[in-house]
Amino acid sequence: MIRIDQVGKRFGTVTAVEGVSFEAADGAITGLLGPNGAGKTTTLRMLYAVMAPNSGHIRVDDVDAVAHPQAAQARLGVLPDGFGLYPRLTAREHIEYFGALHGIEPSRLAARTEELLGLLDMHGIADRLTAGFSHGERTKVALARALVHNPQNLLLDEPTNGLDVMSTRALRNIVRRLRDEGRCVLFSSHVMQEVSALCDSIVVMAAGRVVARGTPAELRQQTGHQSLEDAFVSLADLDRRAHR
Amino acid sequence: MTDVKALRQTIIVCRKELKDSLRDRRALWSIAFSVLIGPILVAFMMNRIADQRREAEEVRIPVVGIDRAPALVDWLRQQQGTQVVEGPADAEQAVRDQREAVVLVIPEDFAERFVTSRPAPVRVVSDSSRNDVRPSVERVRRLLQQYGLEIGSLRMIVRGVSPAAVNPLAVEEVEVSTAQQRAAQILTFIPMFIMVAGFVGGMQIATDSTAGERERGSLEPLLINPAPRGAFVSGKWLAASLAAIASVILTTALSAQLTRFLPLEDIGIRLEISPQHIGNILLAVVPMCLFTAALQATIATLARSFKEAQSYMGVLMLAPLMPGLLSTLYPIGAAPWMYAVPLLGPYVLLTGVIGGRPPGVSAFLVSAGVSLLVAIILVRVTTHLFRSERIIFAR
Repeated sequence: MIRIDQVGKRFGTVTAVEGVSFEAADGAITGLLGPNGAGKTTTLRMLYAVMAPNSGHIRVDDVDAVAHPQAAQARLGVLPDGFGLYPRLTAREHIEYFGALHGIEPSRLAARTEELLGLLDMHGIADRLTAGFSHGERTKVALARALVHNPQNLLLDEPTNGLDVMSTRALRNIVRRLRDEGRCVLFSSHVMQEVSALCDSIVVMAAGRVVARGTPAELRQQTGHQSLEDAFVSLADLDRRAHR
Repeated sequence: MTDVKALRQTIIVCRKELKDSLRDRRALWSIAFSVLIGPILVAFMMNRIADQRREAEEVRIPVVGIDRAPALVDWLRQQQGTQVVEGPADAEQAVRDQREAVVLVIPEDFAERFVTSRPAPVRVVSDSSRNDVRPSVERVRRLLQQYGLEIGSLRMIVRGVSPAAVNPLAVEEVEVSTAQQRAAQILTFIPMFIMVAGFVGGMQIATDSTAGERERGSLEPLLINPAPRGAFVSGKWLAASLAAIASVILTTALSAQLTRFLPLEDIGIRLEISPQHIGNILLAVVPMCLFTAALQATIATLARSFKEAQSYMGVLMLAPLMPGLLSTLYPIGAAPWMYAVPLLGPYVLLTGVIGGRPPGVSAFLVSAGVSLLVAIILVRVTTHLFRSERIIFAR
């Protein structure tokens, strides 16, 4: 479970995120929806503790992520924006590197790696260097790497960007499966269909603030629009006018 | 408990960086090149010097006007390793065209002036811009000087004057340096090359795992792992240091092998790099490797891009060369304070060790202590930089 409370972040004089609060529950997929530059990635970066907020509180399960970043990171699996793979390591070595850093014993790590290679259907590419991988294959490596320590919470930053239809579908299935296992999945996207197809609950961000929260149905009701896309546009637009 | 965990994570990061860089063919080649070029260059130069010595001992003296000074020519013929031949028609052109290294010209009035005890002219035609023939020219000059002295002494004895009267000074040269020290002087390049090997060996990992990792976007995912920033930085530093140490071992071993095959006796020097020498060399340079790797990592982390980091490394390359280059201009001794200066300390230690006069244990300790201290400070600084969002996300 993830709880963010009144979080703010400034870069110099620019306010990237301000007063952001929301909750992502266990056993649910929460969508973080917003146009580019809305502050989604900054919010996630504070969540997975590579950035410190200027104000507010972040809790991952029962851990204060600001005070104990490493304890929070141990409970998080993260697929960051841009996977950052090592071209000279194989898929298997990627998984094992991060697993070892999480403190998994070598014998258990080998078994866990095999399990993930099976789960993500990666046996064919397991021992190839990632240098020539397709976008879909790279996504799988990054996802396997994020799941190696069996985290209770999963953060995905625009995971379907640039993925083909088959890979997107495979990714959705895995995310659903993780949800059904009772995990907390937080999913950022700027693509409406994506979020409406997958998410149990949606947080809409624009210009560094949360402009709406709720289930897809609640959002439609709140804005008076039938389609979620129209709802989203009116929410983002509303905010822009308020800031003018 | 957390310290044990952080240490384990440091080793995991170190192992990954070593594995990663060992697969980087291009980087490996460039390291191999810089490690091998030094010893090979020294071997080549030593061979040339030895060849020249041998050439000078066997000197060919073309003489123009060979009939004008039969006594001198006979005397020259009697000397060891000389070959007197009829000179070319145009002596200066022959030397200019490099057909001859040196030509002796005896003018027409030689005999006339010689018999009347006036200085008889002898012309030595040579090209002083040619380094390769210098020993031969020197040999011819020395021979002429020697002949002049002998004739001069004879003339004085004939006139009842002791030749000793015209030698008010008896200059004696006392050489106190050992043969090994003289060898070290000629082979000052070896310490320099060992230091450069240590520097270049760690450079690849130090830049690729910091500035390179950030530029490829793999730094952010890495830092999401629950480990203290110090463990990441230490692991990368350790990997770069180990690569540097490996390069040093390689260069030293190669130099040791080469000195065995070089014609050093021909040059009149003795140089040997025994296993014990290698031990001392490593004691002198390993702490330096820890320092240079830390310095490279700090600077690469500060750089805004991988390219910028690489250009800084190019400038930084001058640092390990500096003590060696300066010592050829200003002969530096081994003052105690030098051991306390990073880079200079290891250099002075190395010249001592290779010159066959290893400094005391305290010198090794001071040098190692300073290098380690500065290295630890730099690792701390880099760790601090790794906590800065502006550094991590400077893409």
